[in-house]
Amino acid sequence: MSPTVIGLIGVAALFILIFLRMPVGFVMAAVGFVGFGSVVSFDAAMSIIAKDLFSVFGSYSLTVIPLFVLMGQLAYHSGISKRLFNAAYKFIGHWPGGLAIATIGACAAFAAICGSTNATAATMGAATLPEMKRYNYKPELATGVVAAGGSLGILIPPSVIFIVYGILTEQSIGRLFMAGILPGLILILLFIIAIIIWTRMRPELGPKGPTFSARERLSSLSGLIETLLLFVLIMGGLFLGIFTPTEAGAIGAFGTLVLALVGRNLTMKGFMTALFETTRMSCMILVIVAGATIFGHFLAVTRIPFDIAQGVSEIQLPRWAIMLIILAVYLVGGCIIDSLALIMLTIPIFYPVILFLEYDPIWFGVIIVLVTQIGVITPPVGINVYVVSGVARDVPLDVIFKGVLPFLAALIIGTLLLIPFPQIALFLPNLMG
Amino acid sequence: MQTRDPSPQTQDHMVRLEKQIDNLSSAFNWLAGGAILIMMLLTCADVVLRFFRHPIPGTYEIVGLMGAVGASLALAYTTVKKGHIAVEFLTRRMPEKVQFIVAAASDMVSTLLFGIITWQSTVYALDLKRTGEVSLTVGIPVYPFVFSIAIGCFLVCFVLVTDLYRSVKGITQ
Repeated sequence: MSPTVIGLIGVAALFILIFLRMPVGFVMAAVGFVGFGSVVSFDAAMSIIAKDLFSVFGSYSLTVIPLFVLMGQLAYHSGISKRLFNAAYKFIGHWPGGLAIATIGACAAFAAICGSTNATAATMGAATLPEMKRYNYKPELATGVVAAGGSLGILIPPSVIFIVYGILTEQSIGRLFMAGILPGLILILLFIIAIIIWTRMRPELGPKGPTFSARERLSSLSGLIETLLLFVLIMGGLFLGIFTPTEAGAIGAFGTLVLALVGRNLTMKGFMTALFETTRMSCMILVIVAGATIFGHFLAVTRIPFDIAQGVSEIQLPRWAIMLIILAVYLVGGCIIDSLALIMLTIPIFYPVILFLEYDPIWFGVIIVLVTQIGVITPPVGINVYVVSGVARDVPLDVIFKGVLPFLAALIIGTLLLIPFPQIALFLPNLMG
Repeated sequence: MQTRDPSPQTQDHMVRLEKQIDNLSSAFNWLAGGAILIMMLLTCADVVLRFFRHPIPGTYEIVGLMGAVGASLALAYTTVKKGHIAVEFLTRRMPEKVQFIVAAASDMVSTLLFGIITWQSTVYALDLKRTGEVSLTVGIPVYPFVFSIAIGCFLVCFVLVTDLYRSVKGITQ
C-alpha cells in the first residue's frame, strides 16, 4: 500500500472511532501510532509515542495552558463576575434592554481575565440571570445574551483557543492575543446593536431597570478597576515583550489569587475546586495536543497535507471562495464536534492551504476563534447553551437556542467583516516589534 | 440459560478495587495541582527577581518538568471524571446495549494504547537514566519525569479496565 492510501484509511478510522465516542485525544494517538507504524516501522512508532508524549507534557511553552486556565478558574470562584456586572448595571441598567447590554459588558470584562467560553458563560449566568429575572426580562433574551456573551471568553485575550492554535501552527501567542482585541470590541458593539434592535422590536423582552445615583455608580467602579489593572499588566507585558506567555499566565493567576484573598472573596473550598478544575481542563487539553502531535507525525509521512495543498492549487476558484468553503466546513463540523477537537483535527490539513493561499496565519487564527464562537452557541452541541441551561434550569433548551439567534447573526456579520478587512485583526499585532 | 452475572463476591472485590483506584487518582491529582502551583510561584518569583537582575537559574526547565508532572498525574483523575473530550452525537441515538458494546470496544483500544505508552515511557525513562540525561542549565536528571508519565499512564490503564468491566456488565445485563 502506498503511504497516501494508508493515510486515507487512517483518516477514515479516525472519524469512525471519534463518532463511536472514544476520547478524541486517545483516537488521534492510537491512529497516529498504528498509521506511523504501518508507513515507517513499528519500532519507530514505539519510540515516537513515548518521546512525543514527554515533549508535549514537559514543554515549557505549553505550561501557558494550565496557568491561564488557573487564572480563569480563580476569577470564576472569587465572584469577580458579580462585581463586574454590578458596575455595568449601575450605569446602564435603566436603559431599555440595559441589563442585557450590561451583561455583554461584564462578559467582555470577564473575558479579559478568562480564556474559556464555558467558564465565562457559567459564571456570568450565575451572576446576571437572577437579576434579569427580577426585572422581568424574558428568558430568551436573558439566556441568549449570556450564552453569546460568554463566547467572548475566547476572542478577548487571554484565550485557550488562541494558545492552542498558536502552539499547533508555531505562531506567537502574544500576537494572537493582540489580534483578538479589536475584533472583540467590534463584536461587543454588534452584540449591543443586536440587543437594541431586538428590544426596539419587542420592548417587553427587556424592560427598564432602576436608576442609580452618581455616587452609587462611582462606588461600583472599584469592581471594574481590579480587573482592568490585571488585564493591562498582562497584555502590556506581552505587548512590550517583557513576559513570555507562560509568565503572563503565572502573573495573571497569582494576581487574581492575591486580589481574591485581599478582598476575602475566595474560600478554601473555592480555591481547591478552582485548582482541581484546572488540573482536569489542562490535562484534557494537553492530551488532545499530544494526540494531535502523534497524529501529525503520521500525516506528515503520508504526504496527505501536501497533496491537499497541491490539489487546492489546481482548483480554479478565487481564494475567497476557498476560504468560504473552509468556513463552511468549520460551521458544519462545529455543530457536531467539540470546537477544540475540531481545530486539532483540521489545522494540520487546512493550515498548509491557508499558507499556500497567502492568508495571514494570525488573521486566520482570529477567524478560527470566530467560527468557534459560532460553534459553541449553535445546536446540537453548542456547549455554551448547555452551560446556560445548567444555570437556568427552568428555561427549555429551545428557548435558549432561539434567544441566541440575533447574536448568531451578529457573529456571522463580524466574521464576514474580517474577510475584506483583515486589518481589523492585524493592526495591533503589527504594532508589536 | 444461567445468568452470567459475576458472583456477589467478585462484584464486592471490584467495588473495592474501583474505590482504591479512585482514591489513588485523587491523590495523584493533588500532586498535579501542587505542581501547577509551584509553576505559578516559581515563574512569578523569577519575573520579580529578574527586575533586580537576579533571575532564578533554570526556571524555564523546572517549569517545563513540573508541567510533565502536572499533566501526567492528572491523567487518571481526568479519565475517572470522564473529562476527556468525546463526541456523543452518534452514540447517544443508539440502543443502550449497542452503546455498551461500543464503549467496551473503545475501552479496550484505549487500554491497549495506554499499556503501550506505559511500557514505552518506562523503556524511554530507563534509557535516559542509563545515558545520564540532565536538564540544560541546572542539571536535573530528566528520567524521573518520564517515569511520572509511565506511572500516570499505568494508573489510567486500571481506570480503563474498571470502565471496561462496567461496560461488559452493561452488555450482559
